Amino acid sequence: MTFLERTTDVKRLRHVDVDMSVDYIYTSGIAGEVFFKALRDEGRILAVRCPVCKVNQLPPRMFCERCFTELKDFVDVPAEGRVAAVTVAKLDRRGRPLPSPEVFAFVTFKGIQVGGLIHRLLVLPEKAKVGLAVRARLKPKEARTGTILDIEGFEPAASQP
Amino acid sequence: MTSRIAKFPGVELGSKEFYEGKVTQVRSRPDARYEFSAGEAISRFLEEMQKGKLIARTCNGCRRVLFPPRMFCEQCYRPTDEWRYIRDTGTIETFSISYLDRDAKRITEPILVGVVSLDGASPKMGMMHYFGEMTKEDIRIGMRVKAVWKPPEERKGSVLDIRYFRPLKEGEA
Repeated sequence: MTFLERTTDVKRLRHVDVDMSVDYIYTSGIAGEVFFKALRDEGRILAVRCPVCKVNQLPPRMFCERCFTELKDFVDVPAEGRVAAVTVAKLDRRGRPLPSPEVFAFVTFKGIQVGGLIHRLLVLPEKAKVGLAVRARLKPKEARTGTILDIEGFEPAASQP
Repeated sequence: MTSRIAKFPGVELGSKEFYEGKVTQVRSRPDARYEFSAGEAISRFLEEMQKGKLIARTCNGCRRVLFPPRMFCEQCYRPTDEWRYIRDTGTIETFSISYLDRDAKRITEPILVGVVSLDGASPKMGMMHYFGEMTKEDIRIGMRVKAVWKPPEERKGSVLDIRYFRPLKEGEA
Protein backbone atom coordinates (compact mmCIF):
# COMPACT_ATOMS: atom_id res chain seq x y z
CA MET A 1 0.00 0.00 0.00
CA THR A 2 1.26 3.40 -0.86
CA PHE A 3 -0.13 6.87 -0.48
CA LEU A 4 -0.94 8.19 -3.95
CA GLU A 5 -1.27 11.75 -2.71
CA ARG A 6 1.94 12.97 -1.26
CA THR A 7 3.38 16.40 -0.65
CA THR A 8 6.56 16.78 -2.67
CA ASP A 9 7.10 20.46 -1.87
CA VAL A 10 8.99 20.38 1.42
CA LYS A 11 8.09 24.01 2.11
CA ARG A 12 4.47 22.95 2.51
CA LEU A 13 5.35 20.52 5.28
CA ARG A 14 4.94 22.15 8.66
CA HIS A 15 6.88 21.70 11.83
CA VAL A 16 6.60 22.86 15.41
CA ASP A 17 9.46 24.62 17.24
CA VAL A 18 9.82 23.96 20.92
CA ASP A 19 12.21 25.56 23.39
CA MET A 20 12.00 23.72 26.66
CA SER A 21 12.31 26.13 29.57
CA VAL A 22 14.00 23.92 32.12
CA ASP A 23 15.71 26.51 34.29
CA TYR A 24 17.42 25.23 37.37
CA ILE A 25 19.12 26.51 40.48
CA TYR A 26 21.95 24.42 41.85
CA THR A 27 22.84 25.25 45.44
CA SER A 28 26.33 24.73 46.84
CA GLY A 29 25.44 22.45 49.73
CA ILE A 30 26.58 22.77 53.34
CA ALA A 31 30.36 22.61 52.84
CA GLY A 32 30.14 24.42 49.49
CA GLU A 33 28.28 27.24 51.20
CA VAL A 34 31.21 27.80 53.59
CA PHE A 35 33.68 27.63 50.71
CA PHE A 36 31.86 30.08 48.43
CA LYS A 37 30.94 32.54 51.20
CA ALA A 38 34.59 32.71 52.32
CA LEU A 39 35.61 33.23 48.70
CA ARG A 40 32.99 35.92 48.07
CA ASP A 41 33.23 37.86 51.34
CA GLU A 42 36.86 37.43 52.38
CA GLY A 43 38.63 36.33 49.22
CA ARG A 44 39.88 33.19 50.97
CA ILE A 45 40.09 29.73 49.48
CA LEU A 46 39.24 27.10 52.09
CA ALA A 47 39.88 23.39 52.31
CA VAL A 48 38.55 21.06 54.98
CA ARG A 49 40.57 18.91 57.37
CA CYS A 50 39.68 15.42 58.51
CA PRO A 51 40.61 15.12 62.20
CA VAL A 52 40.85 11.33 61.95
CA CYS A 53 42.82 10.85 58.73
CA LYS A 54 44.76 14.13 59.13
CA VAL A 55 44.09 14.80 55.48
CA ASN A 56 43.13 18.18 53.95
CA GLN A 57 40.57 18.06 51.16
CA LEU A 58 39.65 20.56 48.46
CA PRO A 59 36.99 21.57 47.56
CA PRO A 60 35.52 21.20 51.06
CA ARG A 61 32.99 18.43 51.56
CA MET A 62 30.75 17.40 54.42
CA PHE A 63 32.13 13.93 54.98
CA CYS A 64 35.56 12.38 54.71
CA GLU A 65 35.43 9.96 51.82
CA ARG A 66 37.94 7.67 53.55
CA CYS A 67 36.48 7.32 57.05
CA PHE A 68 33.02 8.99 56.77
CA THR A 69 33.81 11.40 59.60
CA GLU A 70 31.80 14.62 59.48
CA LEU A 71 34.15 17.45 58.50
CA LYS A 72 33.94 20.86 60.17
CA ASP A 73 37.53 22.14 60.41
CA PHE A 74 38.13 24.57 57.58
CA VAL A 75 41.72 25.52 56.79
CA ASP A 76 43.22 28.10 54.44
CA VAL A 77 44.70 26.92 51.18
CA PRO A 78 48.24 28.25 50.51
CA ALA A 79 48.31 31.23 48.17
CA GLU A 80 50.64 29.49 45.75
CA GLY A 81 49.70 26.31 43.93
CA ARG A 82 51.16 24.11 41.25
CA VAL A 83 49.69 23.16 37.89
CA ALA A 84 49.10 19.40 37.92
CA ALA A 85 47.47 19.06 34.51
CA VAL A 86 46.58 21.32 31.59
CA THR A 87 44.21 21.23 28.67
CA VAL A 88 43.72 23.68 25.82
CA ALA A 89 40.12 24.18 24.71
CA LYS A 90 39.38 25.19 21.15
CA LEU A 91 35.57 24.81 21.40
CA ASP A 92 33.22 26.44 23.88
CA ARG A 93 30.77 24.62 26.13
CA ARG A 94 28.28 24.25 23.29
CA GLY A 95 30.81 23.01 20.79
CA ARG A 96 31.27 26.26 18.86
CA PRO A 97 34.82 27.26 17.89
CA LEU A 98 36.41 29.77 20.26
CA PRO A 99 37.97 32.95 18.80
CA SER A 100 41.19 32.09 20.61
CA PRO A 101 42.11 28.91 22.52
CA GLU A 102 41.51 28.89 26.28
CA VAL A 103 43.75 27.10 28.76
CA PHE A 104 42.40 25.18 31.72
CA ALA A 105 44.42 23.69 34.54
CA PHE A 106 44.03 21.44 37.53
CA VAL A 107 45.85 23.21 40.35
CA THR A 108 47.02 21.41 43.50
CA PHE A 109 48.34 22.99 46.68
CA LYS A 110 51.05 22.01 49.12
CA GLY A 111 49.53 20.51 52.25
CA ILE A 112 46.22 19.74 50.54
CA GLN A 113 46.48 16.01 50.09
CA VAL A 114 43.15 15.36 48.37
CA GLY A 115 41.79 17.35 45.45
CA GLY A 116 42.52 20.74 43.96
CA LEU A 117 40.79 23.29 41.75
CA ILE A 118 40.05 23.24 38.05
CA HIS A 119 40.03 26.70 36.53
CA ARG A 120 41.21 28.95 33.71
CA LEU A 121 44.97 29.26 33.43
CA LEU A 122 45.73 32.83 32.41
CA VAL A 123 48.75 32.17 30.20
CA LEU A 124 49.27 31.57 26.49
CA PRO A 125 48.73 27.93 25.43
CA GLU A 126 52.44 27.44 24.69
CA LYS A 127 53.35 28.64 28.21
CA ALA A 128 50.94 26.20 29.90
CA LYS A 129 53.13 23.56 31.49
CA VAL A 130 52.69 21.11 34.33
CA GLY A 131 54.70 22.26 37.35
CA LEU A 132 54.07 25.96 36.84
CA ALA A 133 53.74 27.86 40.14
CA VAL A 134 50.45 29.80 40.10
CA ARG A 135 48.27 32.06 42.22
CA ALA A 136 44.53 32.69 42.05
CA ARG A 137 43.50 36.01 40.57
CA LEU A 138 40.24 37.07 42.23
CA LYS A 139 37.62 39.41 40.91
CA PRO A 140 37.22 42.69 42.81
CA LYS A 141 35.07 42.16 45.90
CA GLU A 142 32.03 44.06 44.58
CA ALA A 143 31.89 41.86 41.47
CA ARG A 144 31.96 38.57 43.41
CA THR A 145 28.73 36.57 43.53
CA GLY A 146 29.64 33.41 45.43
CA THR A 147 30.44 31.10 42.54
CA ILE A 148 33.68 29.59 41.29
CA LEU A 149 33.82 32.45 38.76
CA ASP A 150 34.75 34.78 41.64
CA ILE A 151 38.19 33.45 40.79
CA GLU A 152 39.09 34.83 37.37
CA GLY A 153 41.70 32.17 36.93
CA PHE A 154 45.22 31.21 37.93
CA GLU A 155 48.21 33.24 36.80
CA PRO A 156 51.94 32.58 37.16
CA ALA A 157 52.99 33.30 40.79
CA ALA A 158 56.12 35.12 39.60
CA SER A 159 54.13 37.80 37.76
CA GLN A 160 52.60 39.08 41.00
CA PRO A 161 54.35 41.52 43.34
CA MET B 1 4.85 6.69 57.61
CA THR B 2 6.23 10.11 56.69
CA SER B 3 3.27 11.78 58.40
CA ARG B 4 4.70 10.75 61.78
CA ILE B 5 7.96 12.62 61.17
CA ALA B 6 7.47 16.14 62.41
CA LYS B 7 10.77 17.55 61.18
CA PHE B 8 13.10 16.11 58.62
CA PRO B 9 16.83 16.36 59.20
CA GLY B 10 18.74 18.64 56.86
CA VAL B 11 18.51 22.22 55.67
CA GLU B 12 15.19 23.57 54.49
CA LEU B 13 15.43 25.94 51.54
CA GLY B 14 12.55 27.97 50.19
CA SER B 15 12.04 30.60 47.52
CA LYS B 16 13.36 33.25 49.94
CA GLU B 17 16.74 31.53 50.08
CA PHE B 18 16.80 30.96 46.33
CA TYR B 19 15.60 34.32 45.07
CA GLU B 20 17.03 36.69 47.67
CA GLY B 21 20.52 35.29 47.35
CA LYS B 22 20.68 33.83 50.87
CA VAL B 23 22.50 30.75 49.59
CA THR B 24 25.26 30.57 47.01
CA GLN B 25 24.01 29.05 43.81
CA VAL B 26 24.56 28.46 40.13
CA ARG B 27 21.70 29.10 37.72
CA SER B 28 21.50 27.47 34.38
CA ARG B 29 19.25 26.73 31.46
CA PRO B 30 20.18 24.03 28.98
CA ASP B 31 19.74 24.82 25.30
CA ALA B 32 16.99 22.20 24.91
CA ARG B 33 15.36 23.10 21.62
CA TYR B 34 13.72 20.76 19.18
CA GLU B 35 11.42 20.70 16.20
CA PHE B 36 8.95 18.06 15.23
CA SER B 37 7.43 17.53 11.86
CA ALA B 38 3.67 17.84 11.55
CA GLY B 39 3.49 15.12 8.88
CA GLU B 40 1.43 14.92 5.69
CA ALA B 41 -2.12 15.34 6.98
CA ILE B 42 -1.50 17.84 9.76
CA SER B 43 0.69 19.99 7.47
CA ARG B 44 -2.27 20.40 5.12
CA PHE B 45 -4.57 20.95 8.10
CA LEU B 46 -2.35 23.78 9.39
CA GLU B 47 -2.07 25.30 5.92
CA GLU B 48 -5.87 25.40 5.70
CA MET B 49 -6.11 26.82 9.23
CA GLN B 50 -4.03 29.74 8.02
CA LYS B 51 -6.62 30.29 5.27
CA GLY B 52 -9.39 30.16 7.87
CA LYS B 53 -10.73 26.76 6.90
CA LEU B 54 -11.00 23.39 8.60
CA ILE B 55 -10.21 20.32 6.54
CA ALA B 56 -10.84 16.64 7.16
CA ARG B 57 -10.03 13.36 5.39
CA THR B 58 -12.64 10.87 4.27
CA CYS B 59 -12.37 7.09 4.32
CA ASN B 60 -14.30 5.13 1.71
CA GLY B 61 -14.03 1.99 3.83
CA CYS B 62 -15.93 3.07 6.93
CA ARG B 63 -17.49 6.19 5.33
CA ARG B 64 -16.24 8.34 8.15
CA VAL B 65 -15.02 11.93 7.86
CA LEU B 66 -11.83 11.99 9.94
CA PHE B 67 -10.96 15.16 11.81
CA PRO B 68 -8.22 16.14 12.53
CA PRO B 69 -7.23 14.66 9.15
CA ARG B 70 -5.02 11.60 8.96
CA MET B 71 -3.60 9.74 5.99
CA PHE B 72 -4.44 6.32 7.38
CA CYS B 73 -7.71 4.91 8.72
CA GLU B 74 -7.13 3.18 12.00
CA GLN B 75 -10.39 1.21 11.67
CA CYS B 76 -10.02 -0.07 8.12
CA TYR B 77 -6.19 -0.30 8.01
CA ARG B 78 -6.10 1.48 4.68
CA PRO B 79 -5.04 4.87 3.37
CA THR B 80 -7.74 7.52 3.57
CA ASP B 81 -9.21 8.82 0.32
CA GLU B 82 -10.18 12.46 -0.06
CA TRP B 83 -9.86 15.89 1.46
CA ARG B 84 -13.10 17.53 2.58
CA TYR B 85 -13.74 20.92 4.14
CA ILE B 86 -15.88 20.90 7.26
CA ARG B 87 -17.65 23.78 9.05
CA ASP B 88 -16.27 25.85 11.90
CA THR B 89 -19.37 25.30 14.02
CA GLY B 90 -19.80 22.45 16.43
CA THR B 91 -21.02 21.10 19.73
CA ILE B 92 -19.21 21.03 23.07
CA GLU B 93 -18.45 17.42 23.79
CA THR B 94 -16.67 17.91 27.11
CA PHE B 95 -15.07 20.83 28.96
CA SER B 96 -12.98 21.88 31.94
CA ILE B 97 -13.03 25.02 34.05
CA SER B 98 -9.33 25.44 34.74
CA TYR B 99 -7.80 27.52 37.49
CA LEU B 100 -4.33 26.65 36.20
CA ASP B 101 -2.82 28.29 33.14
CA ARG B 102 -0.61 26.64 30.52
CA ASP B 103 2.43 26.85 32.82
CA ALA B 104 0.40 25.34 35.69
CA LYS B 105 0.36 28.72 37.46
CA ARG B 106 -2.68 29.38 39.67
CA ILE B 107 -5.09 31.95 38.21
CA THR B 108 -8.18 33.58 39.71
CA GLU B 109 -10.20 33.96 36.51
CA PRO B 110 -10.62 30.43 35.14
CA ILE B 111 -9.96 29.54 31.53
CA LEU B 112 -12.50 27.34 29.77
CA VAL B 113 -11.15 24.52 27.64
CA GLY B 114 -12.70 21.45 26.09
CA VAL B 115 -13.40 19.35 23.04
CA VAL B 116 -15.68 20.53 20.22
CA SER B 117 -17.11 17.98 17.81
CA LEU B 118 -17.31 19.80 14.50
CA ASP B 119 -20.20 19.92 12.05
CA GLY B 120 -19.43 18.02 8.86
CA ALA B 121 -17.06 15.55 10.53
CA SER B 122 -18.17 12.18 11.85
CA PRO B 123 -19.73 12.14 15.33
CA LYS B 124 -17.33 12.76 18.22
CA MET B 125 -14.60 14.00 15.83
CA GLY B 126 -13.26 17.38 16.73
CA MET B 127 -10.59 19.39 18.40
CA MET B 128 -9.60 20.60 21.79
CA HIS B 129 -9.73 24.38 22.19
CA TYR B 130 -10.49 27.36 24.38
CA PHE B 131 -14.01 28.71 24.91
CA GLY B 132 -14.77 32.43 25.09
CA GLU B 133 -17.65 34.93 25.28
CA MET B 134 -19.25 32.74 27.91
CA THR B 135 -18.90 32.35 31.66
CA LYS B 136 -18.19 29.24 33.66
CA GLU B 137 -21.87 29.26 34.63
CA ASP B 138 -23.02 29.34 30.96
CA ILE B 139 -20.89 26.51 29.62
CA ARG B 140 -22.51 23.08 29.27
CA ILE B 141 -22.11 19.88 27.29
CA GLY B 142 -24.12 20.00 24.06
CA MET B 143 -23.78 23.76 23.68
CA ARG B 144 -23.57 24.94 20.06
CA VAL B 145 -20.40 26.93 19.33
CA LYS B 146 -18.61 28.71 16.46
CA ALA B 147 -14.91 29.40 15.92
CA VAL B 148 -13.60 32.94 16.35
CA TRP B 149 -10.69 33.28 13.90
CA LYS B 150 -7.77 35.62 14.19
CA PRO B 151 -7.51 38.18 11.38
CA PRO B 152 -5.69 36.64 8.35
CA GLU B 153 -2.48 38.66 8.88
CA GLU B 154 -2.11 37.29 12.41
CA ARG B 155 -2.57 33.64 11.44
CA LYS B 156 0.52 31.47 11.52
CA GLY B 157 -0.66 28.03 10.51
CA SER B 158 -1.34 26.97 14.05
CA VAL B 159 -4.29 25.59 15.97
CA LEU B 160 -4.29 28.97 17.72
CA ASP B 161 -5.31 30.66 14.43
CA ILE B 162 -8.71 30.09 16.00
CA ARG B 163 -8.79 32.30 19.12
CA TYR B 164 -11.57 30.35 20.83
CA PHE B 165 -15.05 28.98 20.27
CA ARG B 166 -17.96 31.25 21.18
CA PRO B 167 -21.65 30.39 21.64
CA LEU B 168 -23.56 30.14 18.38
CA LYS B 169 -26.07 32.98 18.20
CA GLU B 170 -29.71 32.40 17.43
CA GLY B 171 -30.39 32.25 13.70
CA GLU B 172 -26.74 31.54 12.85
CA ALA B 173 -26.08 28.54 10.68
